[in-house]
Amino acid sequence: MISVQNLMKAFPQKGGDVFYAVDDVSFSAGDGEIVCLLGVNGAGKTTTMRVLSTIFKPTSGTATVQGWDIKTHPQEVRNNLGFLTGDTGLYNRLRVHEFIRYFGRLYSMQDDAITRSMNDMAELLDMKDFMDKKIEFLSTGMKQKVSIVRSIIHDPPVMIFDEPTAGLDILTARNIISFIRSCKERGKCVLFSTHIMREAERLADRIVMIHKGKVLAEGTLEALREETSQVDLDDIFVYYVNQYAGSAAEGAKVEAHEF
Amino acid sequence: MNFKKVMIVYRKELMEVLRDKRTLFMILLLPVILYPVLIIGFNAVMSRQTGVLEEQGATIAIQDSVNTIVSARMLAELSKIEHFTLIPAAGNAQSLYNNKDIQSIITLRDSISTDGLITYQIYVQYDGTNDRSEMTFAKIRDALMATEKALVEEELQLSGINPEIMNLIDVRKLNTADSQKTMGKVLGMILPYIMIIMLLSGASVVAADLVAGEKERKTLETLLVAGVDRRDIVIGKYLTIITLGMINLIVNLFSISFSMQYMLSQAGVDLAGAGMPIKAIFILLAAMLPLATLFSAILLSISTFSRNMKEARTYEQPLLMVSMILAMISFLPAIEMNNLMALIPIVNIALLFKAVMMNDYQLSHLFLTIFSTVVLDVIAIWGTIKLFSTEGILFRSEDDGSSLKGLKRGDKKRAQVFFSPYNGMIYFVLALLMLYYLGTYMQGRDLGSGLLMTQLIVILLPVLLVLRVFKLPSKETLRLKAPKLKEVLLVPFIAISAAILVALASQLINAIYPFPEEYLKNLGKLFELDMPMWRSFLVIAIAPGICEELLFRGLMPRFFEKYGMKVNIVLTALLFAAFHLDPFRFLPVFLLGMLLGYLTLRSGSIVNSMISHAINNSLALIMIVFASSSWLKLFISGEDNLRYWLAMPAILILALALYMFHRITGGKECVE
Repeated sequence: MISVQNLMKAFPQKGGDVFYAVDDVSFSAGDGEIVCLLGVNGAGKTTTMRVLSTIFKPTSGTATVQGWDIKTHPQEVRNNLGFLTGDTGLYNRLRVHEFIRYFGRLYSMQDDAITRSMNDMAELLDMKDFMDKKIEFLSTGMKQKVSIVRSIIHDPPVMIFDEPTAGLDILTARNIISFIRSCKERGKCVLFSTHIMREAERLADRIVMIHKGKVLAEGTLEALREETSQVDLDDIFVYYVNQYAGSAAEGAKVEAHEF
Repeated sequence: MNFKKVMIVYRKELMEVLRDKRTLFMILLLPVILYPVLIIGFNAVMSRQTGVLEEQGATIAIQDSVNTIVSARMLAELSKIEHFTLIPAAGNAQSLYNNKDIQSIITLRDSISTDGLITYQIYVQYDGTNDRSEMTFAKIRDALMATEKALVEEELQLSGINPEIMNLIDVRKLNTADSQKTMGKVLGMILPYIMIIMLLSGASVVAADLVAGEKERKTLETLLVAGVDRRDIVIGKYLTIITLGMINLIVNLFSISFSMQYMLSQAGVDLAGAGMPIKAIFILLAAMLPLATLFSAILLSISTFSRNMKEARTYEQPLLMVSMILAMISFLPAIEMNNLMALIPIVNIALLFKAVMMNDYQLSHLFLTIFSTVVLDVIAIWGTIKLFSTEGILFRSEDDGSSLKGLKRGDKKRAQVFFSPYNGMIYFVLALLMLYYLGTYMQGRDLGSGLLMTQLIVILLPVLLVLRVFKLPSKETLRLKAPKLKEVLLVPFIAISAAILVALASQLINAIYPFPEEYLKNLGKLFELDMPMWRSFLVIAIAPGICEELLFRGLMPRFFEKYGMKVNIVLTALLFAAFHLDPFRFLPVFLLGMLLGYLTLRSGSIVNSMISHAINNSLALIMIVFASSSWLKLFISGEDNLRYWLAMPAILILALALYMFHRITGGKECVE
C-alpha cells in the first residue's frame, strides 16, 4: 500500500524563486486497489510519482510504500515498488530477454526466478514472439510492454504506472489495461496516472484529482458524482477546477471542451 | 557498495558498448589500421618520391671562367652524375633558371694567393626551399668534393707525402646507447603524446554515451528506480570506461610500436634485440592505468552533468585541449622527471613514459605519479557520485535564459541577448589583452599614475561604454544600490579576517614552494611608490575597490547568471584570479574573488564587495606604512610575516560574520 502525507516538492527556479510542483499532497492507496491520479499535463502527477519512487527527494512531508518511508529507506521502497513512466526509453542494443534479465538482476533476483516471472508476464501481455528480438527493432506498443515487464519483473506489491497507455494503439492499450486489472486481482496496490478521463472511469477504484500541484478532490467515482451532481468525469473534473479557480480568484473559468 | 550489483551494471554496459559498431570501430579497429597505414604508407610514399626526384635529374648551366685542366676535371666529374645534363651558360642562363628550365647555375672562378697557390671558388645557385634543387646541390657538392680529394691526393703523391695524411685524425662514434635505447628515445618522444590523447579520446567515445546518452534516450530513470544504489551505478559505468579506455590504449600501444619498429628497420636503424620489452610495457600500463581512471572519472562527471551527448562532447573539448598541451611536454628535450613534475597530472605520465622507454627511470617517480593521480582520481569519482545524486543535475531542464534579477522588463530582453557566457568570455579576453598591452605600457612609463590609469581606462571605462552602447541601465545591471546598514557594519569584520587568512595561506605556500626573488622584488615596488600617503591609498585601495569590482562583481556575473549563483561566483572568481596575470597569487586572489562575489550576489549590492575589496588592499598598505610601530609588531614577525596564531581569531570572526551576513541577506534579491 501507499500512504502519502503532506508531500511537497519544490524546484528552485533560476534566480532564487521556488516552484512547488507538488504542494501539500496527501492520499493513500490500499492493496488490491487501483487508484488513479487524474490531472492535466503539468499538474504534478509525474513529480508526485517520481518522489514516491525515490528518484526525487521530497522537500517536506513524506510517504510510505509498503510501510517503508521514502526518505529513510529508499532501497526498501525501490525493492517493493514497480515504477513505469510514460515515455521511458529502453536499451536498444539489448535483446528483450537480456534487457528484462538485467533489471531482474539489479533487483537481486535469481536467474531462474527471473525466467519464470518473465515467461508468465510474456504470456499475459502477449509478447512471446519478440522476446529474442533486439529492442531497436520493436514497435512502440511492443516497447511499452517490455517496459511494463521491466518495471515489475521483481513482482512488487506496489505498482506505479505513469500514463501507461500514452501514445499506444487501441489494442495494445486494452491489453495493458486488462493486465493492470489482473494485477489488482492478484492483490497488488496500483497507482496510475492519466489525463484521459475514460481510462480513469473504467479502471480506477478511487480517483485523486490533482491540479497545479494540489489535490482538488478524492474518492470513488460515485462519491464524486454525488458531490458534484455531474455524471461525466470530464464535467466532474472541470467542476473542481472551477471551484479551485474561484477560490484562488484566478478569474477565467475553464470550459469543458478544453479536455 | 554492493560489488555484485556493480558487476551487473559493468557487464551490461560492456556488452552494450561492444554491440555498438561505431564504438567498436573507434576503439579496436581504427588503431589497428591507422598506424600501419599511416607509417608504412608514409614510408612508401617517401622512398618512391625520392626515386622520382632522382629520375627527374637536372639540367645545369656551367659558367667556366677558369678553363684549366683542374676545372675540366671538375666538369668531368659532374657530367658523370646520372640524369644530369650540363650545358654551357649563355646570356639567358639566369632567366632560364628563373623559369625553372634549368635547376642550377654553376660558376667556376679561381684566385691566386700571395704565395702562388691557386684556389677555386665554385658558386652553385640553388633554391633552398625546393627538394629537387636541394638534392641537385647535394650531388654537385659531393662530386666536387670527390674531385678535390683526388686532386689533393695527387699533389701529395707528387711531393712525396703519403696521401693518407689526409685522414690524420679520424673520429669514430662508439655509441653506448644500445638499439633498445635508440628506439626508446624515438618512441619516448611521440608515444606519450599519442597514448595520452588516444586514451582520452577512446574513453570519451564511451563516456558520453553512458550517462548523457541515457538521459537522451530516457533510460536513466528506469535505472534509478531499479533496486540498485546510485553509487553502484556510477562505479559500474566508471569501470566500463576504464576498461574500454585501457583496451583502446593497449591496442594503440601494440599497433604503434610494431609499425614504428617496421619503420625504423626500413630506415636502416639497427634493431638487433630491440623491441618493446615486456617489463617496460607493464610499467607503462601500470602508470597509464591511474591516468585512465582519472580521465574516466572526469569524463563521467562531464557526461553526468550534460543534458545530452552533444553537450557532453562540447564539454569534453576543453579537457582534450588542456591534456594535449600538458602531454606535449614529452616533446621538450630539456624537461626531465623530478618530484615536482611527478605531481602534475598528465605531465608526470608523459615524462615517466619517456623515461621508461629509455630505461632510465626511478621507482620513486613511478609511485609518486601513481599516488598523485589516484588522489585526484578519488576526488573526481567522489564528485561524480555527488553529481549523480543531485536531482537538479540529473534532470536538468532546457535553458530558459537567465533571470537577470533587478532589471526592468523592458531592458530584460536586450540584456538576455547580450549577457551570454560566450559574450562574457569574449569580453574577458578583450579586457585581458587590453590590460596586457595598454596596462603594461602605462605602468611602464610611471608605475603610480599608470596603475591608476589602468584601473580607470582599461577596467572601468569599457564597462561603462559597453552598457551605454547596448543601452543597458548601468545602475541596475551593476547592482549599484545602497546596501543595508547591517550589511555594511559586518563587511569590515569579514574583509579584515578574510584578508588575514588569505595572507596566511599565501605565506604558507611561500614557505613550501618559495616564490622567486625577482617576483617578490617586483611586488615590493608597489608599496615603495614615491607619493603621498593619500595617493597610495587611492591607487592601491580605492581605485581597484571601485573599478575592479564594477567589472568582476558588476558586469561579469551578469554573463554567467544562467548557471546559478554558486557556479557564477566560482567562475567569476576564476576569471578575477586569471586577470591578475600572476600565477603565484592565483589561489589567494581566487579565494578573495569568491568572497567578494558572494558578498555582492548574496546581498544584491556591489557596495559591500567594494568596501571589502578596498579594506583588503589597504591592509597591505597599512602593514608597510606602520611597519615600525610597536603595536604592529604584535601581529607581525620577522620579515613582514603575519603571525600564524592570527588564523584562530580570524577564522572565528570570519565564520561568525559570514553567518550573520548570510542570515540578514536571506538570499532573495529585491526585484526592482
